[in-house]
Amino acid sequence: MSRSILITGANGGLGIGISQTFLQESPENHLWLGVRSNRDAAADLQSLHPDRVHLIELDVTSAISWDLAVETILATNKSMDVLINNAGHHDDQLLAMMTDDSWHKVIDSNLTGTFNGCRAVARTMMGQRRGRIINIASLSALLSPPGQANYAAAKAGVVGLTQSFAKEVARAGVTVNCLCPGYIDTPALSAMNPEQRQAATAKVPMRRLGRPEDVAAAAVFLASENAGYITGSVLKIDGGIF
Amino acid sequence: MDELRQQIKDLMVNELMLQMTAEEIGNETPIFSPEGLGLDSVDALQLVVALEKKFGLKFPDAETARNVLRCVDTIAAAVPAAE
Repeated sequence: MSRSILITGANGGLGIGISQTFLQESPENHLWLGVRSNRDAAADLQSLHPDRVHLIELDVTSAISWDLAVETILATNKSMDVLINNAGHHDDQLLAMMTDDSWHKVIDSNLTGTFNGCRAVARTMMGQRRGRIINIASLSALLSPPGQANYAAAKAGVVGLTQSFAKEVARAGVTVNCLCPGYIDTPALSAMNPEQRQAATAKVPMRRLGRPEDVAAAAVFLASENAGYITGSVLKIDGGIF
Repeated sequence: MDELRQQIKDLMVNELMLQMTAEEIGNETPIFSPEGLGLDSVDALQLVVALEKKFGLKFPDAETARNVLRCVDTIAAAVPAAE
């Protein structure tokens, strides 16, 4: 059966990795890649799979933008089957030095964006009596490292939102779960110098950084029929750090 | 009207997975009171979505929902008005 899958933050390393894995999983998967100004990687993926990949303009912090996106998807694919709330960014600063702007932007993109996405698809998925929502949180939600008060708070909020929302829609056949990736080897980690990268790897019991496909595999599973009795779960993908 | 009430009761039993039959639901049985069906706010949302889908009922605000979702009779009364 054809499935429409919306992935936010689709131009980033993790978003692309998740998108590629869903494309490989089934020819019935039709992807809607939520993008904003940065869209080169997503556009490349679309050019490789023009029949199954669509780019869609989406500002996750705007409820109106969400409504338009969902409307567009439903007009084309007739169903909204999977939502991956992956968009977000971090802006690490010690709390005592943190600007209002840094706080609000990180909360908005990570937490408000996830809230907007869940709300935008809730009624549609409940009406369908099926749906899978996967929120990408972070290990930071559980470890709360110094310098990430904004990001850790936002991602911990995503965990709480996931578990509360999961209970609200469970009997409608909609599952809501979240993933907490640890150090994943994406361009977002490129800000690390070699020493920092080595130190990060040393913290991982498996002695390697995670790969986008490690996270994607979990997302594909949680979106599958086999994961139908799993909801409100918080799955760490961290090589055993915790 | 009786057929409509029956459809609403069937919808409630099926959509909300109630552990009772449609025949056990009275036309004036309170939907959310503990003395009635004792449904909760999560059931309410599911019921709203189901009524919107099946009957085209619209619930523009919480006040409307509270008034319509009192019992089977109040829901049935709202259906023709919405059509």
